[in-house]
Amino acid sequence: MNTMTRRDFLRASGVSATLALVACTAAPPEPAASTEAEPTAARVEIEFMNWWGSHREELMNEVIANFHEMNSSVQVNNLVQPWDGRAERAATAVASNNPPALIMTQRVETYQFAHENLILPIDDYVQASGIDPDALFYTGEINNQRWQGQLYSFPLPTGGGNTGQYFYNKTVLSNAGLDPEMPITTWQELTTAAQAITQKDDIGVTVMGASLGGGPVGFGQWLYTNAGQFVSDDARTIEFHEDAGVQTLEWMVNFTNEINGGIDNTNEFLAGTSDTSADHPYYNEMLGFLFTGVWQFGHLQATDPDMWEDTSTWGVGQMPYNGNNPDAGHAGVAGLSGSWGYVIPSSTPQDQADAAYQYLEFFGTHEAGGCLFLFNQGRPSPVAQCNENPSYYDSNPYWDVVLKSLSSDVSVAVTPVQTRINDVVATVVEEAYFGVASPVDALAKGAEESQRILDEFWAG
Amino acid sequence: MLVPIQEFLHRHRTKWVGFAFILPWIVAALWFDLIPFVVNLLLSFTDYSVSTSIPNWTGTKNFNEIFTLDPLFSKSLGNTVYYLALSVPVRLVVALAIAILLNLRIMALGAFRTIFYVPSVVPLVAVSIIFFGMFNARYGIFNQVLILLDLPPVRWLTRPEWVKPAMVIMSTWGFGAQMVIFLAGLQGIPAELYEAAEMDGGNYWQKLFRITVPMLTPVIFFNLIIGIIGGFQVFASAYVLLGPGGGALNAGLFYVIHIYNNAFSYFRLGYAAALSVVLFLIILFFTIVMVRTSDRWVYYGDT
Repeated sequence: MNTMTRRDFLRASGVSATLALVACTAAPPEPAASTEAEPTAARVEIEFMNWWGSHREELMNEVIANFHEMNSSVQVNNLVQPWDGRAERAATAVASNNPPALIMTQRVETYQFAHENLILPIDDYVQASGIDPDALFYTGEINNQRWQGQLYSFPLPTGGGNTGQYFYNKTVLSNAGLDPEMPITTWQELTTAAQAITQKDDIGVTVMGASLGGGPVGFGQWLYTNAGQFVSDDARTIEFHEDAGVQTLEWMVNFTNEINGGIDNTNEFLAGTSDTSADHPYYNEMLGFLFTGVWQFGHLQATDPDMWEDTSTWGVGQMPYNGNNPDAGHAGVAGLSGSWGYVIPSSTPQDQADAAYQYLEFFGTHEAGGCLFLFNQGRPSPVAQCNENPSYYDSNPYWDVVLKSLSSDVSVAVTPVQTRINDVVATVVEEAYFGVASPVDALAKGAEESQRILDEFWAG
Repeated sequence: MLVPIQEFLHRHRTKWVGFAFILPWIVAALWFDLIPFVVNLLLSFTDYSVSTSIPNWTGTKNFNEIFTLDPLFSKSLGNTVYYLALSVPVRLVVALAIAILLNLRIMALGAFRTIFYVPSVVPLVAVSIIFFGMFNARYGIFNQVLILLDLPPVRWLTRPEWVKPAMVIMSTWGFGAQMVIFLAGLQGIPAELYEAAEMDGGNYWQKLFRITVPMLTPVIFFNLIIGIIGGFQVFASAYVLLGPGGGALNAGLFYVIHIYNNAFSYFRLGYAAALSVVLFLIILFFTIVMVRTSDRWVYYGDT
C-alpha cells in the first residue's frame, strides 16, 4: 500500500491500457498532441491556484514535473492556498484583472462564474485537441463541469465518491461484540450496531457508533439511500420535502436523539477534530462508522499509516440504505457540493489561457497527471480507464467497494444558487435535530424557501 | 497675475499650512472611506455580483428583500444586539476595574500593565482557537471549573442557548485597549479632588462613585461608543469559532457574517452592500442617540 513511482505506475498503466484496448474497440483517445513537447515555442509561465495542500502538495509537484518533462514551453507554478476564506479567494482571483491562469473551483462556483461569463468555456480547446470527454470520463463526472451546454473544466477528483461508501473501525466493532467482517448494509443494521457500540457518561458520548451528519450533504446522502431526490432533474423543482425526505429526516433525528443523546452530544464528541487530525475518534477506536468520501483513503494513509497498513483494523462498505423501502438501495451523491474543477478566467491573456488548457488537459486526462495524482492517494479518478489499472487492487484493499460505490453515485442537478439552497437545508435540518420544528414542518419550510430562491434564479 | 495669487497665499498662509498638514489624512479618508462608502451605497441598489460587467439597477429590491424575505436578517441582527447588550457592559466593567487596580501604587506595576494588555495584541484567530479548546465540554477549562464547583458542565459551542454567552466570555479577553484608555483617564483626574474628599471623611467607595466614575464619564462614553460600533462589526472570532453558519441553529450568526456569506459564498455583492448600508444606518442611529443623550450623564468639567 505504498505510493508508486511514476515508472511503476506507468508500467502498470501500460498493461491495463493494453488490456483495455483489446477489450474495448472504442477506447478513449490518447492524450492530445498539445501536451507534447514544443521546444521551439516561447516559454509561457502560468500560475495554478489550488487547494491541494498537505500531503497532496508534493504529489502535485510531481505531476507538474511530469508535465514539464513532456511540455517544455509551459512553466506551471503550483500556488497552494490556505483553506481559510477559500471561496472569497477564488472569487476575487477569478474577477481580478490579473488572475492566475488556472483556478481550482467547486462545481457550484464554476457554475456561478460561468453564469457571470467570468471563465472561459473549453469546448474549442477540446475540439482542437481531438479528445472526446464523454468517452474519457464517467458521464456524471463530465456533466458536473457543464453549465448550459458548455464545458468549463475537466473533473478531478471524482464528484462522486463523496458519500457512496463508509469506513468502519473493526476494533470498535469487535469491542462491541459485533462481527467486524460483516459490514452493515441497511439503516436498520446501522441502528442496531450503533446501539451496541455507543457508550456515554455524565458529560457526553465516550464511544460513538455513528454520526449521521447534518447539512445538505449529510441529509442528502441519506435521502438518496431512501430513494429520495433533492431536486428534479431539470433543477427547477425542489423535491427533498416529499415522503422519502420526511422519512429520512425522521430517522436521522430519532437515531441521533435515541442513540447519541442529541445533536449537541454528537457535535461535541467530534468538536475540534477532523479526519486529517490524529486525534479524530475514528483513528482512536472511539468511532465505529465514519461516513465520508473517497479522500479518506489518502487521509488514513497520511494520518495513521499503521492503521492503513493493517486492514484487520478498518474496512469499507457501501452506504447503508433503508431496508424497509423496497425502492431503496446503495447510493451516493455527486456534485451537490464539492466536485472540483479547474477554470480559466476570462481575463487571462491568450497565451496563458492556451498554456492553462494544456496543463488542464494533462492534469485531467493523462496517466502521469491526474491518474497518478489520485492513485497515490488511493482514490478513484473520473477517468474511467485510470480506475481499471490493476495496481489499484494492490494499493487499495477495498478497491472493489470503491468501484461499486462510484457506479451507484447519483449526479444531483444544481444551479449557481445551490450554495444558498444548501444553507437553507442546513438550517432546517438543524431545526429538526434541535426539536424547533418537526421533520415534516422543517422540510416544508426549507422547500418553500429553496423553491423561492430557485424560481427567482430561473426568472432572472 | 502672479502678484494677487502670491498675496492671497501669503494672507492665508496659516490656513494653507494647516491644510497641507492634514492633506494626507484627507486624501486617505477620501480614497479609503468616502469613495468606497459612496460606491457601496450605489451598489446596494443593484444586482452586482462578482462579474466585471456593469450591474443592473434594481431600485429598492434588495432592501425589500432584507425587510420582508430574508429570515437571517432579523436572526443575525437579533444575535448581534444580544451579544452587544451583554459584551459591551461586561467588557467596560472589567476594563475599568482592572484599570483602577493598575492605577494603585503597587510594586511591579509596569509588569502588571503589560500582562493585562498582552491579550489585546494576540491575533484574534489564535485567541479563537485557544478558546475553542477552553470551551470543550469534556476537557475545556470552563467546564472543569464548573465540575469542581459541583455544577453541571455546559455545551458552550454546541447548544444554541450557550453560543452567545461563550462569545461574550471570549470578547472580554480583549479588554486591554479599553483598559489603557481608562488608565489614561484615571491619571488625568486631579489629585486634589481625592484629597478634599479625604478631608471630608469620604471612604474608598464614596471616592470611587462620587469622583472617579463621574470624572471618567467622557472616557466611559468614548469606550461605550467604540464598543458598540465594534460589537456590531463582530466577525473574525465568531467565524473562526463557529463557522460561516454561526453554529447551532445560527445562534452565533452575527450580522457581518451574514453580509460576508452573501458577498463571498453567494456572490450577491449588491445584496451584501444593501445589508451593510442598513448596518451603517443602525450604527449611525445608535451613535446619534448616544451623543444626543450624553449631556445628561457625561461630565466634561465646569465649562
